[in-house]
Amino acid sequence: MFPIIHWNLISLELLITTTIVLLVVIDILLPQKAKKDWIGILSFITLLILIGFWLAQHNLTGKTFGGMFIVDSLSWFFKGIFLLAMVFVFTMTQQFFKSLPGRRNEFYLLLWLALLGMCLIASCADFLLLFISIEILTISLYVMTAYLKSDKHSLEAGMKYLILGALASGFLLFGISFLYGATHSTRFEAIQGYASTHSMSPMILFGLVLIFAAVGFKIACVPFSLWVPDVYQGAPTPVTALLSVGSKAAGFAILIRLFFGIFASWHGQWHLVLAALSAVTMCYGNLAAIFQTNIKRLFGYSSIGHAGYLLMGAAAGSTLGASAINFYLLGYLFTNLAAFLVIVLFFIAAKSDELEDYAGLSQRSGLLACVLLIALMSLAGIPPLVGFFGKFTLLMATVQSGLVWLAFIAAVNIVISLYYYLMVVKRIYVDAPRNTSPIPVSLPTRLILGVLILGIVGIGIFQGPFLEAAMTAVKGMNF
Amino acid sequence: MIIPHLLSWILLLPMAATLFLFMIPSNQVFWIRRISNVAVLLSALLSAWVFAAYNHTAGGFQFIEKIPWVVPFGISYHVGVDGINTVLILLLGLCSFAGILVTQTIKERIKEYYILFLLMIIGTYGAFLSLDIFFFYFFHEIAAVPAYLLIAVWGSGRKEYGAMKLTLYLTAGASIALIALIALYHSLGLGTFDLIQIQQHLANHPLPVEIQNWIFPLIVVGFGITLTLWPFYTWAPVGYATAPTSVSMLHAGVLKKLGAYAILRFAIPLMPQAAATWMPVVATLAVLNILTCGLIALTQRDLKYILGYSSCSHMGYILLGLACMNIIGLSGIVLLMFAHGIMAALGFALIGSVSDQTQTRNLDELGGLTKRMPFIATCFAMMALACAGVPGFANFVAEIMVLLGAWDHYRWQTVLAVLGIVITAVYMLKTIRLAFQGPLNPRWAKLTDAKTPLQKLPFILLLTALIVVGCWPALILKNIESGIKPIAERIR
Repeated sequence: MFPIIHWNLISLELLITTTIVLLVVIDILLPQKAKKDWIGILSFITLLILIGFWLAQHNLTGKTFGGMFIVDSLSWFFKGIFLLAMVFVFTMTQQFFKSLPGRRNEFYLLLWLALLGMCLIASCADFLLLFISIEILTISLYVMTAYLKSDKHSLEAGMKYLILGALASGFLLFGISFLYGATHSTRFEAIQGYASTHSMSPMILFGLVLIFAAVGFKIACVPFSLWVPDVYQGAPTPVTALLSVGSKAAGFAILIRLFFGIFASWHGQWHLVLAALSAVTMCYGNLAAIFQTNIKRLFGYSSIGHAGYLLMGAAAGSTLGASAINFYLLGYLFTNLAAFLVIVLFFIAAKSDELEDYAGLSQRSGLLACVLLIALMSLAGIPPLVGFFGKFTLLMATVQSGLVWLAFIAAVNIVISLYYYLMVVKRIYVDAPRNTSPIPVSLPTRLILGVLILGIVGIGIFQGPFLEAAMTAVKGMNF
Repeated sequence: MIIPHLLSWILLLPMAATLFLFMIPSNQVFWIRRISNVAVLLSALLSAWVFAAYNHTAGGFQFIEKIPWVVPFGISYHVGVDGINTVLILLLGLCSFAGILVTQTIKERIKEYYILFLLMIIGTYGAFLSLDIFFFYFFHEIAAVPAYLLIAVWGSGRKEYGAMKLTLYLTAGASIALIALIALYHSLGLGTFDLIQIQQHLANHPLPVEIQNWIFPLIVVGFGITLTLWPFYTWAPVGYATAPTSVSMLHAGVLKKLGAYAILRFAIPLMPQAAATWMPVVATLAVLNILTCGLIALTQRDLKYILGYSSCSHMGYILLGLACMNIIGLSGIVLLMFAHGIMAALGFALIGSVSDQTQTRNLDELGGLTKRMPFIATCFAMMALACAGVPGFANFVAEIMVLLGAWDHYRWQTVLAVLGIVITAVYMLKTIRLAFQGPLNPRWAKLTDAKTPLQKLPFILLLTALIVVGCWPALILKNIESGIKPIAERIR
């Protein structure tokens, strides 16, 4: 019998797919020499409409495709994060390609494809669908990473990402096959039923380790984070931003579904491993970031450090832990994208991502310096910015689960990270500029920067509703 | 007359001023200065109003406002003052107003300076007014971090080093304290950060001693770093020395006292058994503070370093007072926080007015300044006498109270602490002799004194406070005692 498909459940993904198809057609129909960035403008408008559509789906829950595809509060929350991130990534893309020759229309299509992949990841309830959606996301990221064909760093980054990404995909498939061998199903619901009645066998453990390797690759946790610095540095900046926010959030969406949902009953056997990984990841990321001279590379290591903080929530293993991850990701989105938007704008003006060129930025553009300052302080976890409350909720979850030692390691890392963030602040505010030409910022860009700052400060001060949203997302999780 | 939401206004006025400053173009120097001065003055007046209107016979927390903020964690915006807070916000009001007047000497990147300085003031007010442990920490951090930029951009000497050291030390201390506070929250199991609710709960259900015993030292060390607890004091002298004048004033005068306030408010009354166990250790560290920093101050040649080490040394008396845990000692430290805060702010303001003209603070290069700056020199001499604990100034009363309180429990520590007063007198008198007495160095023939009333105002204001409280300590002691009594009862 052919399964009944509930079209309304997959309507968001269908709309994204339709958009991609329409954009391809429009791209072909548009005259080759079209002056205006029509695809970019259309993409932006469509995205805003989709966000409205997403808001309307607030209370939608259910399953379709015979239980492979699930819509619940968790998927809704993460889709919101992905859509919101895309708004800013599109803005960045429009800015970034202004200064570069070559076609950018395909780039938008790839971004849409990545969005589709991420939304599917948030909604998958079957390991096969999980594999396919991860591939949709990752393959579009491969192409985008290597998009600057004339830049050897970009090509190198693309190649590195491709090789390690393919390896991770292989691990994932291999792990799924072991899991299938033990449980005779790829459906999350069935595997959860198995996990709640059986103890963990060595075969499943092996499968889980492999699956975790693939997820660890996405969230950039040690030891699967080797690609991060080179890819972050070499990729076009909008892609770096997407990697640091979207791809990482997608990884955590999977992690929450797997470790807080399906394998929740085995959590006792996992949480020390996760805690150790968290500790190693944050120490590695933050210590290595101290020595960086390229701002994108610095953000690469910083992103590893933040993956470590986020894993604290996973190690805590409680509802609060998962909610803390959600809240942190929401804050991280605004914070990191604000920083990357500044990096893009600076790159357009100065043609450089080197930290030494950031010297005296405050005298060239007070606005950019101020936004970067706020973003860096939020990343370091200084109130009243959102990064503080994110770290606070993570520490609450960690201490609640009795992992006080992990909380102390996090405290040490907060101090280390404050050091290297302040070194950047020192460059932009204290050092004398080498080049004093002012950097102009257009009005629409100012608006977008304003929205990002409003997000960082607003959520940082009025934390309540957002924390509740993050908690609702976890409590309403289904299989 | 009752002003509704009195305490919130104290916070909102500087916040509104900060927002205004963001919107004003940075060349409108006149308006930037005017708006900041007025906002800080109004907040200071409101603090004085709160101090005067506080009903010390009724005691307890007054002027309470409470708005639920983050419901899942039981965090609420909850402000209120008891006798202790009224004195501390009065201190902050005086120091912040004097500080913002002194800020007139800042000539570059004025807008940014005022924004960051206002943030510091907002954070400190917020921390003193909050009755919610989360918001206390929240505001405490807001107060601590702007100092990095204030020092690194507008400071002098090894400013980047000093700024980084200060910020990292304070953040490290705060992070340790944060984990301890979160652990306290979870071990209470109340699901609230509300101080009053926690106190009520603990009155009948004290925490198990083994939990108290590990949370208490973490809070003391964490906030003790802010209070320059030995051996974590090294950030302070270099931080103050490199900071611009008004930041040194606010930091040494008020911000530092946040550490003592936190220990007095959260550690001692909430975990009295652990306090009884750990306090002898604190008393010993206090003596180390007094003697080590005092002796280092003897060897210094830089005016700001002398005052910086002196300030660290005097924190030892506050720690000693905390350790004795009786009414007289605890009242003494609140009075000492007030007296030392005013004295330190005055001292840094005076040094600032000298070094703005001389561009040096080295004792060997100064000399005979009294001839050119009689007003500044007189104020400095009085500040030095206050610092050395001469009767007539508030510091004398406070130190006597601390020593009397400590005598019963810690004999030899008290004796050594008295020795510290002698050391203070030595380095302070030496400083006066080398900087202000003797022949005038011809390099300084063109120096000018503080002339206009506006230039003299900050010094007169602070000095008056020192003398008035010194001659009539009951003025603020009645508030302090009404605040200390419930704490002392809890310890018993």
